[in-house]
Amino acid sequence: MIPSRRSFLVGSAALAAGASVSAPFFLPKYHSDRRAKRSRVAILHLDQYSQRIDEVLASALRLFRMAVQGKSVVLKPNLVDYSPRNAINTHPTLVLAAAESFRRMGAKCVIVAEGPGHQRDTQLVLSESGYQESLRADAIPFVDLNRDELVRTQLRASYMRMKSLWLPRTVLEADFMVSMPKIKSHHWAGVTLSMKNMLGTVPGSRYGWPKNILHWNGIQESILDVCATIPVHFVIADGIMAMEGNGPLNGKARPLGKIVLADDPVAADATCARLMGFEPERIVHLREGAKFLGNISPALIDQVGEAVTLPTTPFDVVPEFRHLYAG
Amino acid sequence: MHRELLAFRPASPSWAISLLTVEPFRIKSAAVKSDGVVLTGVMAELRRRQLPAGGWAALRASVQASVESTSLAALAVGLDDSDEARLAQEFLVRVQNPNGSWPAFSGDDRDGAWVTSLASIALRDIGMAIPARLSGIHWLMKCEGKEGNWFWRWKFLTTDRRVRFDPDKFGWPWIPDTSSWVVPTALAILALRQAPCSCGGLGDIPFRINLGIEMLMDRACRGGGWNAGNGVVYGSTLAPHPDDTAIALLALNNRTEHPVVQASLKWLERTAQTLTAPWSLAWAILALAAHGRAVAALLTSLMDLPHLSGRDDTCTLALVCLAADYPRSLVALGVNL
Repeated sequence: MIPSRRSFLVGSAALAAGASVSAPFFLPKYHSDRRAKRSRVAILHLDQYSQRIDEVLASALRLFRMAVQGKSVVLKPNLVDYSPRNAINTHPTLVLAAAESFRRMGAKCVIVAEGPGHQRDTQLVLSESGYQESLRADAIPFVDLNRDELVRTQLRASYMRMKSLWLPRTVLEADFMVSMPKIKSHHWAGVTLSMKNMLGTVPGSRYGWPKNILHWNGIQESILDVCATIPVHFVIADGIMAMEGNGPLNGKARPLGKIVLADDPVAADATCARLMGFEPERIVHLREGAKFLGNISPALIDQVGEAVTLPTTPFDVVPEFRHLYAG
Repeated sequence: MHRELLAFRPASPSWAISLLTVEPFRIKSAAVKSDGVVLTGVMAELRRRQLPAGGWAALRASVQASVESTSLAALAVGLDDSDEARLAQEFLVRVQNPNGSWPAFSGDDRDGAWVTSLASIALRDIGMAIPARLSGIHWLMKCEGKEGNWFWRWKFLTTDRRVRFDPDKFGWPWIPDTSSWVVPTALAILALRQAPCSCGGLGDIPFRINLGIEMLMDRACRGGGWNAGNGVVYGSTLAPHPDDTAIALLALNNRTEHPVVQASLKWLERTAQTLTAPWSLAWAILALAAHGRAVAALLTSLMDLPHLSGRDDTCTLALVCLAADYPRSLVALGVNL
C-alpha cells in the first residue's frame, strides 16, 4: 500500500518529534573524547609520611617521562577542613615533595591551589594542617581558589543542567594540572579521589561554602562536567593514611600505605577504588568518565611499581554505597 | 593597648539619615589605640589595594572587584569619612543588579548572590544609596532557601534525612535555588534589621528575621557553635567553625541568654584564644564584643600576628581594621550594643 501524502507528512512529523525527544538520551553528553589509548599507573608503598617521600616520589615520577619543562604546574591537594583527629587532607609532606620534584623536572613555576569546600577561612586550614609554614619555607605560592579571579567557562559536558561555571583563572591558565586527592570514602559520592577532588576548583566566593549548587545538580554529574572542563594531566593520590566510612570529614583513619600516581584520572581512581575493595564500574562518575575522560579497564592500564592488591577488608562506606563492594 | 570611647552623639536628624538607620545613637568616635603601627600599616595596605573604579579585589594580585571585599573594605575605611569610602559606595551602587541584588563580583551574572546583605550594610547611612539599599532589601525578602518550597520541605522531612535539620526553619542561600546556610542567613538578618521601614511590602521583615533566627538555632552544632550549616550528618557530629560561629552570634546578639547562644559563646571564647588565623580571630572579636565579652587580650593577639598587612586576602585586612575598632564596627554592622 502506498501511503498518502497526508499520512507521510504526519508520520515524518511524528518521527522528527520522537527523535528530538529521545536524542538527548542517546547522544553523548561530552564534547570530546580525551582518552589515551593506554594509561599508566604506579602504586608506591610507603607506611608513613617521612622525608623518604621525596626520593620515592621523584624516582617514580621519572617513570612517566612528563613534559613539564617550562610549564606552569598547579598542584591541587584536597584541603577540606581541619581536625587533629582525622586524616581529612592530603598530607603537606607529599605536596611539598611533589612541588620539589616538578621544580627539578624544569617546571616554570609550581603553584599549590585549593578552594576548601567547607571551611571559609582557608588560612586557618593552611596553618592548622601544617601547610602554611612548609609552603613559606619552600617559597611555594598558594592560591585560594575560593577567592581567585573568575572567568566564565563553558562546560565541556552536559551531565548537569548548567551550561557554564565561573572558574578560577589560576586553574584555567595552568599548563599542567595535578590532582592530589586524599583517598577517602565519601558519603555523597561513594569515593573522593582525583576526579571528585576537582570540585575544589569551583569558587566558594561565587557558589558558597559548601558549593551547594553542585549538590543540587548532582554530585556525580558535577564531577563529570568539571573534569571535562578542567583537564587533569596527572594524579598523585595520598593513600598512606586514607579514610573510610563517613568521609570526607567524619570517617575513620584507615592506614593503606600507598601512593597512587597516574597520567589519567579515571585510571588513577579506578585503581584507588580497587585498592579500597570497590568495583570501579559501580561508581557512577568513573563508569561515565570511562566513556571520554580515561581508561577504567585493567586491560588498558599499564601498571608500574606494585600490583593492585585487593584489601582483606574493603573500606567501610555509608549504607547507600554498599553496592560498590567488589564481588 | 586600650580603647577609648571619646564621645557619643545622636544620629543626624536629617530625614535621609533617619530613614537609613534604626539605632538611636551612633558612636561618633571610638578610637582603638591598639598597636597603632600595625593597624596603620594594615589600613594603609587596604587603601592601597583599592581599584581605580572604587572596588576591592579579593586577592592582592587580582583586578576583579569582589563585592564581599568591597563591602567589608568600605565599612573599614568608612569608619571615618574618606574619599575611599565614597568611591566604594558609588561603586557598589553602580554594580547593583537590575533585580535589586548584588553580584558576587564585577562582571558576574545578574541573578544575585549572598553578598547582597553585605552591600546593603555597607551602604547604610548613605543618602544617595537609599533606593539601591531598599531594592536590595526587597530582593532579600524574596530570596529564600529551597526549603521555602513545600515540595523540598516534604522531601527533606520524608526521604532525605541524612543531614539532621528542620526544613520548616529556613533562611537564606548563598545563591538562589539552593538550600539555606548559616552565613548568608546571619548576614541577611543583620541587613534586614537595618531596614529603614516596614512599608512598601516589607511588612514581613520581622517574620523572616524570626524564621532565620529559628533556623540558626536549629543548625547549631551539638555543644555549641556553627559550621556552614551541617551540625549532624549520618549521625556524626561535625565540628563548629570560629568564623561561622562568630557571624551567627552577631545576628543573635539580642538572644544572649538563649542556651544555644551561651554554649556557642563559651566555645568561641575558648577557641579564639588559640586562633592564629586573622580572619577567624577578627570575626571572633566582633562577636564576643557584641555579647559583652572581654576582647582586649584577643585584640593584642590579633595585632601580634605576623605579616598582617602582607596577607593576600583583602577581606582579612578589612576585618582586622573592623575588629580593631569594634565599637563603631558593630554599630555599622547593625549590632545594637
